[in-house]
Amino acid sequence: MVQTVLRLLAIVILGALLGFGWNSFGGRGIQLDRNVFVKDEDEVIELAEARARFARGALFLDAREMELYRLGHIPGAISVPEGEFEKAFPRLEPMLRSRFDLVVYCSGLGCEASHTVSRWLRQRGIQAAIFTTGWPAWSEAGQPTKKGDEP
Amino acid sequence: MTVLRSPVLARFLGVVLGVIFIYASVDKIAHPAEFARIVYRYQMVGPNQQMGPTAANVLAVTLPWIEIVTGLLLVCGVWRREASLMVVAMTLSFMVAVSSALYRGIDLENCGCFTVTGSGRSLGIKLLIGDLVIVAAALVVALARQDSPPAVAAEPDDRPA
Repeated sequence: MVQTVLRLLAIVILGALLGFGWNSFGGRGIQLDRNVFVKDEDEVIELAEARARFARGALFLDAREMELYRLGHIPGAISVPEGEFEKAFPRLEPMLRSRFDLVVYCSGLGCEASHTVSRWLRQRGIQAAIFTTGWPAWSEAGQPTKKGDEP
Repeated sequence: MTVLRSPVLARFLGVVLGVIFIYASVDKIAHPAEFARIVYRYQMVGPNQQMGPTAANVLAVTLPWIEIVTGLLLVCGVWRREASLMVVAMTLSFMVAVSSALYRGIDLENCGCFTVTGSGRSLGIKLLIGDLVIVAAALVVALARQDSPPAVAAEPDDRPA
């Protein structure tokens, strides 16, 4: 029994050590304390900064699906779901280019849509900050929200 | 039930499970960032507001190597019982993660089982049934009669004089 437990531990420890070793020296490792969605060129902001920019009149872009947007979003935010980006961009382009304070958000840290939309905007020469903790952080902090199709 | 406890069957199933686990680990080892993305989507160990990305990243970095060590042990027939218990533990944990994701309505096109790039297998009942088969096979390996002690006892000539 003791031997079994020790061997199980040994398997886990050996695997973990190999994993950390490969991550450090294998050449394709990830930074353990950083979200893999985040790239060096990303401008990442959290709740306090998002609030400040909201108060300053920044334009928010909601990268979640339309159904989630309808259930509640940051007031004034425009719905730009990841899947609709190509279609929506020509319509939104003049507005996006006329604003210099853009913030993209989605369903929080496990959600990549805000990163994807921000990257696509950057490829078109438009800089948008990513509010990484996104909708969960905003709504749980009791910030103003709005329901429905309209920004 | 003697057939089920046969050491020969255990050896065979051990090799099959070992190959499956080695195969399952390779793509994750080759693409750690892609695997981390999939771990994030399950939302079991973060990242969320309470938990930063570290726990999910550590899992993404270590789990494939624990899988490959387990798989190699099974193929080589070393520590077979312990390695098969690892298979049971990992597969059951994975089933909890899949069930929880299904329950919470998390839509994963790729379960992150064998491949982490492209589409892969989606979450669903078929995946859970497949995992149950793996658990059952691993239990057969874990509960098999140990075959080594009688083999040693049968060769008294090897004892030093």
